[in-house]
Amino acid sequence: MAFNFEPKVMIESVPMLLKGAELTIYLTVGGLFFGFILGAFFGLLKLSRSWIIRKCAGVYIETIRGTPMLVQAMFLYFGLPMALGFRIPAMVAGIIIIAINSGAYIAEIVRGAVQSINPGQMEAGRTIGLNAMQTMRYIIWPQAFRRMVPPLGNQFIISLKDTSLLMIIGVGELLRTGDEIVAVNFRAFEVYLTCGLIYLCMTMSIAKCLRIIEKRLQMRGKA
Amino acid sequence: MISIKNLHKSFGHINVLKGINIEVAQGEVLVIVGPSGSGKSTVLRCINRLEVPTSGTVIVDGLDIMDKSTDINFVRSEATMVFQHFNLFPHMTVLDNITLGPIKVKKMSKAEAEKLGMGLLSKVGLADKAKNYPDQLSGGQKQRVAIARSLALRPKAILFDEPTSALDPELVGEVLEVMKNLATEGMTMVVVTHEMGFAQEVADRVIFIDEGVVQVDKPPKEFFINPEHPRLKDFLGKVIVHG
Repeated sequence: MAFNFEPKVMIESVPMLLKGAELTIYLTVGGLFFGFILGAFFGLLKLSRSWIIRKCAGVYIETIRGTPMLVQAMFLYFGLPMALGFRIPAMVAGIIIIAINSGAYIAEIVRGAVQSINPGQMEAGRTIGLNAMQTMRYIIWPQAFRRMVPPLGNQFIISLKDTSLLMIIGVGELLRTGDEIVAVNFRAFEVYLTCGLIYLCMTMSIAKCLRIIEKRLQMRGKA
Repeated sequence: MISIKNLHKSFGHINVLKGINIEVAQGEVLVIVGPSGSGKSTVLRCINRLEVPTSGTVIVDGLDIMDKSTDINFVRSEATMVFQHFNLFPHMTVLDNITLGPIKVKKMSKAEAEKLGMGLLSKVGLADKAKNYPDQLSGGQKQRVAIARSLALRPKAILFDEPTSALDPELVGEVLEVMKNLATEGMTMVVVTHEMGFAQEVADRVIFIDEGVVQVDKPPKEFFINPEHPRLKDFLGKVIVHG
């Protein structure tokens, strides 16, 4: 059986795939939005003086990082309904999975960035009479945030790619859409190749934006 | 103004301070000298509780810093510190560095704080640098901004922790000049330094700390001209050769 490459199939599949890509973007942005909140929260807990609080944050981070996202997704979408008696909508489940996953990694990014700020900054804040919270807010956090930008961008790209795993719970994102097209036309080569190219376009655009943001941040006040 | 009684401080099982007693009167300039590792910076850092004393009492302007009911943030803004490494906030302009304290701690309006800030910048000779960021300044300029940042709180006293030790030699003078002016204006100052010239010229009293205790506490004339204490003699011999 001779293989025939049909570029026309690729072009035809694009409009549908772009619809899927739109969902991929929603999942990524939604997931990362909540992921950042979770990450900032648990990252700061990890910096707590109390070892119990640090331990709690550690349990979350280790559990999430130590189990496959696919397992988490299947447990949340197929497993949990058996106990709860209802199933959360796939899209919501998808966003939750991306959020708790990226949250665990972002927590470590936040912790690392805050710890990398010279302790003299905290002392200087305290010596002008700011309390610990104010010093965190006006002095440590803005500096730490700049250092978080490159690793956060990296996490953005990872999370975007991770959304493809959500096809397993039936979220109609990019890969799932591709899968459905293949089920009809059997052109796996062209369709999956197109999916890959669309993912690549998205990740490269993010990388490009990041470089611009990093440059901007560098321009004013570093050292 | 500042009263330190029987101050002890240990880090783990290392006893750095073993019963320090120091009184600083309003408007007095006290210079603390001593070999490195003698605990002189630790004394300074205990005054506004950046370091928590192990035991003893520290009273700043009538407030016991060890008392739980004392608002330590208030004490810190009253007896603020200038650091060896400046510790300016790198993400803020020079002017914002100075106005942050007045706005957030003293609840001053932004306009009022900026007026105050510009006045202080002229005072330290850096009015033209208001909109610059710290990394655009020389070490001496950074330290002058740090002094202006402290002054913006209208403190009762300023603690200087080796303010010129991180500076290139040619930049030391401009910082000492600003400090001399402050002393003349009657600011209460506690200065840890190796600048013996400054101590001789500006200090009301000079204290020699060694092995965790105050060994000598005298006016500069007696301190420098006739050092009887053998360890002080030895110390001065070493620093003055270099100075």
